[in-house]
Amino acid sequence: MSHETASAPGVQLVPAGHRVTRLPFVGIGLATIGAAQLVIFGARHAERLYAAWLVAFVFFLTIALGCLYFVLIHTAMQGSWGIVVRRVAENAAATLPLFAILFLPVAFGLHSLYHWSHPEAVAHDALLRFKQPYLNLPFFYARAALYFAVWSAIALWFRRQSRLQDENRDAAAAARLSRYSGALLIPLAITTTFAAFDWLMSLAPHWYSTIFGVYVFAGGLVSGFAFVSIAAVALRRAGLLPALSSEHLHDLGKLLFAFTVFWAYIAFSQFFLIWYGNIPEETIWYRVRLAGGWKLVTIALAVGHFALPFFFLMPRAIKRNATTLVVAAVWLLAMHFVDVYWLVMPSLEGLGVQPGIMDVAALLTVGGAFLAGFGWLLVKSPLVPAGDPRLSESLAFENV
Amino acid sequence: MQPKPDNLDPVAGPKTLILGGHDFHSITEVVSGVLERPAPLGWWAVFGTALLALGGLGIGVPWLVWEGIGVWGLNVPVGWAWDITNFVFWVGIGHAGTLISAILLLFRQKWRTSINRAAEAMTLFAVACALTYPGIHVGRIWVAYWMAPLPNQMGVWPNFRSPLLWDVFAVSIYGTVSLLFWYVGLVPDLATERDRAKTKLKQWIYGALALGWRGSQRHWQHYEVAYLILAGLSTPLVLSVHSIVSMDFAVSQLPGWHTTIFPPYFVAGAIFSGFAMVITLMVICRKAFGLEQIITMRHFDYMAKIILVTGWMVGYAYSLEFFVAWYSGNPYELFVFINRATGEYAWAYWTMVSCNVLVPQLFWFKKVRQNLAALFVISIFVNIGMWFERFVIIVTSLHRDFLPSSWDYFRPTMWDVACLVGGFGLFFTLFCLFVRFVPMVAAAEVKTVLPQADPHHGSAAPPAQAPALPPVPAGARSGLIAEFASPAVLYRACESVRDAGYKHWDAHTPFPVHGLERAMGLQRSKLPWIVFVLAMGGALAGFLLQTWVHSFEYPTVISGKPLFAWPAYIPVTFELAVLGGALGAVLGMFALNRLPRHHHPVFGSRGFERASDDRFFISIEALDERFDPTATPELLRRCGAARLEWLTA
Repeated sequence: MSHETASAPGVQLVPAGHRVTRLPFVGIGLATIGAAQLVIFGARHAERLYAAWLVAFVFFLTIALGCLYFVLIHTAMQGSWGIVVRRVAENAAATLPLFAILFLPVAFGLHSLYHWSHPEAVAHDALLRFKQPYLNLPFFYARAALYFAVWSAIALWFRRQSRLQDENRDAAAAARLSRYSGALLIPLAITTTFAAFDWLMSLAPHWYSTIFGVYVFAGGLVSGFAFVSIAAVALRRAGLLPALSSEHLHDLGKLLFAFTVFWAYIAFSQFFLIWYGNIPEETIWYRVRLAGGWKLVTIALAVGHFALPFFFLMPRAIKRNATTLVVAAVWLLAMHFVDVYWLVMPSLEGLGVQPGIMDVAALLTVGGAFLAGFGWLLVKSPLVPAGDPRLSESLAFENV
Repeated sequence: MQPKPDNLDPVAGPKTLILGGHDFHSITEVVSGVLERPAPLGWWAVFGTALLALGGLGIGVPWLVWEGIGVWGLNVPVGWAWDITNFVFWVGIGHAGTLISAILLLFRQKWRTSINRAAEAMTLFAVACALTYPGIHVGRIWVAYWMAPLPNQMGVWPNFRSPLLWDVFAVSIYGTVSLLFWYVGLVPDLATERDRAKTKLKQWIYGALALGWRGSQRHWQHYEVAYLILAGLSTPLVLSVHSIVSMDFAVSQLPGWHTTIFPPYFVAGAIFSGFAMVITLMVICRKAFGLEQIITMRHFDYMAKIILVTGWMVGYAYSLEFFVAWYSGNPYELFVFINRATGEYAWAYWTMVSCNVLVPQLFWFKKVRQNLAALFVISIFVNIGMWFERFVIIVTSLHRDFLPSSWDYFRPTMWDVACLVGGFGLFFTLFCLFVRFVPMVAAAEVKTVLPQADPHHGSAAPPAQAPALPPVPAGARSGLIAEFASPAVLYRACESVRDAGYKHWDAHTPFPVHGLERAMGLQRSKLPWIVFVLAMGGALAGFLLQTWVHSFEYPTVISGKPLFAWPAYIPVTFELAVLGGALGAVLGMFALNRLPRHHHPVFGSRGFERASDDRFFISIEALDERFDPTATPELLRRCGAARLEWLTA
């Protein structure tokens, strides 16, 4: 069995000198350019800078978390089709420790982002005083530390097990990974929920919605699948993932489609119940998003994050063709950015729909760092989990 | 028996889902045997008890209609109690059937084949139990037609912006689509029963219902597409149904009801309770009808894990509701939740938490998941817990009104109990009839997961002794039919016939053989287009109807919304899209297959009844231009036919 998988196509390291090995440097380059711009333009607009940073940070963080969800769910469900792209997702998820550093600007810019962090505001606001046991600085920092610890531990543990299996070809490890993956989804779901509450929902500290955490990780799953699709196709184009067939793309496409619908379902549930109930303390959140320029963004989100990809991804041929699938994936990533932007910006006073250089710079910086981390991990291990006993099954996979 | 290494999945264990070395014929025997043997004594006992329980509805409903809903323990402010609790409970039970038949199909979880038929039947009966309540719960069944999208005699239209009307659409369409899905799955198995029938009456009834199904590969091709599309439609449908049910509560402003997590939380809870009911039923059925080798401990293991997962989802929602009730800073919200946990209904709340969150944790242990008694007991706990969940949500939120002067405590009367018991009676009566008269295991589907169903399994070599050519009949002949012993031989034969350039020919198999459409050189099915057009048509019609009613025909301002309150039209629009698509899939499939067609030359062949059991056939029509009375039989003989026969009809 192990001989078979070892000689299976696609089990290879990135060859030295291949252009993919330059990915970390490209990432660092982009991050440097972005950081320089942030320093130049952000010095006078600190508030704008932190907001842009939070958007970029959450955008890439949710991609990495989406990949971690994908890895755990796929493994827990004993799926085999996706093993061929699992390492790509593992690598993206293993960048999560990096986000602890990328969080520092958020922590630093806390006062320009979070209204509840101002003691004078809390002093004059009965609700914020009531919420103080949760919304206070030490606890906020402690929770953030906990989230990063949990995420990093899960992602690194999984990648390490998977890497060990590359070497020792331990078939029993697959069953063990499957068992633990299911259990690890529990802390992952709880931490992502509260991270969404802390970093996004508390931007509007009076507002609350029980589904908010699910909304954020639904978007993260869509973008995780989109990222995996793009990265896998790019690696195949670079000649590094020849094992990726249109059957695998078909399944990735189906998941993109399904989770686009799931995102829409969650988004609609939240909007609809608040719209119908019509309680002012809840509707205020949508009110700002349905006024002025934000209304257009909201409509764009409904159309672009749901209606267009829904019809576009429906035909089978679109999902099986690498080019069209990547078009859909890139589009959905762009929409995920709009989604995060729409979650953050309207809650910050005085920031209308004014995308600017700062948003680009923050994206470059966080994205560059993410790309550098991803690229660095990519060249360090085979591009598919070579030791997984069911890799050959995944390679031979056919849609029924 | 130690499984061979190539038959061992490193994660899931042995790949064999069906134990005991079954072949195609023995599967048919086991499944059909249940219907052909006299009912076991236990069946009569359960059936009798269920009928007795059904009497609860038989007496309770007429009394309710005669006397009014005052016979229930309702009061002010608890104007809604066991009626809606039962309704939501039964709708929820139904969800596991759809989950098994649709979502697990999409996830390619092949183990579903052993239990999907019974689980789908359970869905139908649970929906039937649920659907009694919209009709009776106001005690005036003579105005039940107000639920239909029709104006009443005063020109008043139903309110399409009310979640109660969405319920009617959602649950009745859910019932309809589930019935279609179930029936489509049943057709090949009904054909098996038709072909095995010993009495004329049975043959006639099963035959009429089987629509002349002859296992044609051209039919299987559309059939499989239709089945997949129905799964694709049922998946969002099942999500929408319990989401809409949750909106009965969540669109209101009542603390404890109005919270945004409700739709996915209800869906998770529905799947949770539904799987518990599947376990309850399957533990009994597999024992009673000797299905141990088809419904194996592996199946229970998977179902227990799904209960564990959905149990956590429910627990997640319970905790989140509590946290956000505090975090909202809204004193009413917080009061409701503290009251749930510590007030007069604390006993119900903690019953719910124990049954739904604590007890299922036992499923972490493989020993528990492999123990039938433990599975049975835990599944009962979950059923109880989920009934209490609905009770807790509904009654605790109502019994503490905003006005303390109207606070009250709900106590059920004997008529509440009669309706609850009667619901179970209806459910089990229908289920008992189902297991007696309908194949309770999807035999055709189970056959596809046997290793020998793979056309690349085993030898494709023709039998050692080639069959004798039958004499060419003197009179009219419509074609030639050849029998093959295994999918592997058939597959190769199909390739040969295709390559020989025949056009008017077909293969007949007891189950869809994977990849055979390629071996036969068939085009992809056009069915998806039919479905797409009808689904869009359904959506458009639904949206326009609601817009027309509320903006033009009967404009009324409701809950301060504009006349054109389009978000409120989404639920019904969506449901009608699914209905259109599902009807398109089923009717389109039958139309493309030219079914029903009860008369066909192949039925004239001796031994063709085994085309729905364990034999594989190729029929070539005489009108094919390549057809030749000597070359054609010779071709089939070379391909490994075990038997050849002229079709004369």
